[in-house]
Amino acid sequence: MSRRTSAKANRGRMNAGLLAGGALVALVVLTALVSFFWTPHDPTLVDAAGKLREPGGGYLLGADKFGRDTFSQLMVGARTTLYVGVVAVGIAAALGVPLGMAAGMTPRGWLSELIMRVNDLVFAFPALLLAVMLGAVYGAGTLTAMIAIGVATVPAFARVARAATLQVMVTDYILAARAAGRRRGAIALRHVLPNIGSMLIVQASVSFAIAILAEAALSFLGFGTRPPTPSWGRMLQESQELLFSTPRLALWPGIAIALAVLGFNLLGDGLRDFLDPKLRRIRAER
Amino acid sequence: MRRIGIWIAAGGLLLATAACGGGSGNGSAGTGGTPKAQSLSVGFVAEPANLDFTSTEGAAIPQALLVNVYEGLVKLDQNGEIVPLLAEKWDVSPDRKTYTFTLRENVKFSGGAPFTADDVTFSLDRVKSDWKLKIKSQLDVIDKVEKKDDSTAVVTLKRPSNGFLYSMATRLGAMFSRTGVADLANKPVGTGPYVLSSWRRGDSIQLAANPSYWGTKPPLGAITLKYFKDATAMNNALLTGGIDVISSVQAPESLQQFADPGRFETVEGTTNGEVVLSMNNGRPPFDDKAVRQAVRHAIDHKALLDTAWAGRGQLIGSMTAPTDPWYEDRTGDYPYDPAKAKQLLGGKTYNVKMRIPNLPYAVNSAQVVKSQLAQVGINAEIEPLEFPARWLDQVFTKGDYDLSIINHVEPRDMGIFADKSYYFRYDNPEFGKLLAAADEGTEQEQTDDLKQAAKLLSDDAAADWLFLFPNLIVAKKGVTGLPKNAIAESFDFTALAKQ
Repeated sequence: MSRRTSAKANRGRMNAGLLAGGALVALVVLTALVSFFWTPHDPTLVDAAGKLREPGGGYLLGADKFGRDTFSQLMVGARTTLYVGVVAVGIAAALGVPLGMAAGMTPRGWLSELIMRVNDLVFAFPALLLAVMLGAVYGAGTLTAMIAIGVATVPAFARVARAATLQVMVTDYILAARAAGRRRGAIALRHVLPNIGSMLIVQASVSFAIAILAEAALSFLGFGTRPPTPSWGRMLQESQELLFSTPRLALWPGIAIALAVLGFNLLGDGLRDFLDPKLRRIRAER
Repeated sequence: MRRIGIWIAAGGLLLATAACGGGSGNGSAGTGGTPKAQSLSVGFVAEPANLDFTSTEGAAIPQALLVNVYEGLVKLDQNGEIVPLLAEKWDVSPDRKTYTFTLRENVKFSGGAPFTADDVTFSLDRVKSDWKLKIKSQLDVIDKVEKKDDSTAVVTLKRPSNGFLYSMATRLGAMFSRTGVADLANKPVGTGPYVLSSWRRGDSIQLAANPSYWGTKPPLGAITLKYFKDATAMNNALLTGGIDVISSVQAPESLQQFADPGRFETVEGTTNGEVVLSMNNGRPPFDDKAVRQAVRHAIDHKALLDTAWAGRGQLIGSMTAPTDPWYEDRTGDYPYDPAKAKQLLGGKTYNVKMRIPNLPYAVNSAQVVKSQLAQVGINAEIEPLEFPARWLDQVFTKGDYDLSIINHVEPRDMGIFADKSYYFRYDNPEFGKLLAAADEGTEQEQTDDLKQAAKLLSDDAAADWLFLFPNLIVAKKGVTGLPKNAIAESFDFTALAKQ
């Protein structure tokens, strides 16, 4: 009885999280997609006459000190955010997953040790510091920010992939596949990867949230997206000196960042609950 | 997992409000030791790398030390006039090649040694032999320096020079003790009203009143120069009482925070800082005068100043400041006219690199310049470079840029355009001739020649002059003796007091 109630509560919560997260993420993605075709105004056009324009009259959220439309900037900023997130998480997954799987499939070999110790080393290095360093050496920009965030996220993927692979490797079907003489590569692709996929998706969603925050922080520090390409972090930074006189300029990008990060986290949590085999089994028993 | 999620989301909000919290730091450093009324704390943005301005470039060192710790024979007053300091008076020979300085009596270095004509010859000879700065060539005009007696020094020039005495009022003319140059980077020894009492690297420099000062004793017993990395942090420090004065406001839109006249006072004066939109005259497309002229016509300078620097500052149009005797308003040479600009470009479009220092005024101005150039068909890609190291290396030293934006703060610095290896890569022999004639001629000839030179620069569109950087000081109410204009190299503390 008690088990059933908890499962029921669990399911209710996971659906709410998944739905809310999915909705927020969909909103950000949709905004970014629309910004490719339409924005109310040119987000980078400087208009001295419209300096600090109040909201209203075609300018939904007003304009900044350069007379640029805040709403248009937020829309294009969503694009920047997603772009950085996709590429950074892509880099992290493309490097981290194969490494983690290799380590997981040869748990007692020197390769596994080597991969995981190098992993620990990278893990100990803060992503922001890496990005600031790369920015100082190769010039600040979206690309360096994406690479730095991506590389710093590799260990997270490698660890999750390794742990999941270890679990999968002791299952009967892997044993059967090995007994049938399948090559390692084939086992990795046909049997391991599909079975650890759900955990990787969850990891990607959470990493995405971290990447968004990192991009905002880097742009805030002047090491991210180059001006005048709109970016939520730089919008915050540029509104700093106006925080007391025109607080809305800091408020909107702040809310945008918070919602996007919250969205991806809720989505990750919801997906985890949804895809967790144990929870699935509980549901099946009912 | 869920907990991590919430923390990260909270982080987003935290970032949004980071500007409120940061920066008040470890509070007032100027109150330790001396009674509170006797000391003041002044906020600056760039900390000096060391304290030796004879070997290290950078405006921060003379800003802190010149006039305050080191003194020259002469100094610049608030109107840009040359007035006596360690020299009571000076006589110039009829051929304008010999300067006889009569030195003040009873002047001592902070180490205890008396100041005599021997120190004058020592200091000026040292410029040639030991200094490592580019600007030391300004004193190449000196033929010899001799001691006539203990209180008389004679400087003989190779040719008449109008710039000589002016250079003597800058860091080049600072007087050093023969026994006090062993460790200039850490232990400055001068004759000034203040001495260095401590330097906490990365944080602050403390100056204390010099008990054996020859002149009027400064009203304050101690001054703390507090260094900040960030304009907002400095603003917050003033709001919360961590400092008493912001030496130079780096975020002019934030001035509203200090609008309360019961608490704060804002001083707005002028500087020598021309914010220059540099164009690389040495390579396409800006080796073409028509393209450079198009840029000047394409920029709405009034709109730029209003948006990028809150309308503070002044529009100038060439490489001179209004405090120079030869200043003329040249903003009318290239009025804002996008149609004319397009016509000059002949319908062509260009892609150029705008490599700027990552400083607030440059990043702000660049976005306006980019937007306005785009209207006439020049697409400028902005690349902020870390300042000073990377910008100096890439743009200033290697000249690898098309457009850049930098505030040229040195006083009377039109001469940099005469050096064709300078990063502008501007090469017009006519300009060099005008400058040479100006230096040798009479005062009237100098003024006339330099007026012509400034006009030539503007006509040639050797660069574009965005605006003259304002001197914006905010202080707590009751602070007096603030230097209104920043036209010399130092931030003059000598009159600073607190009621």
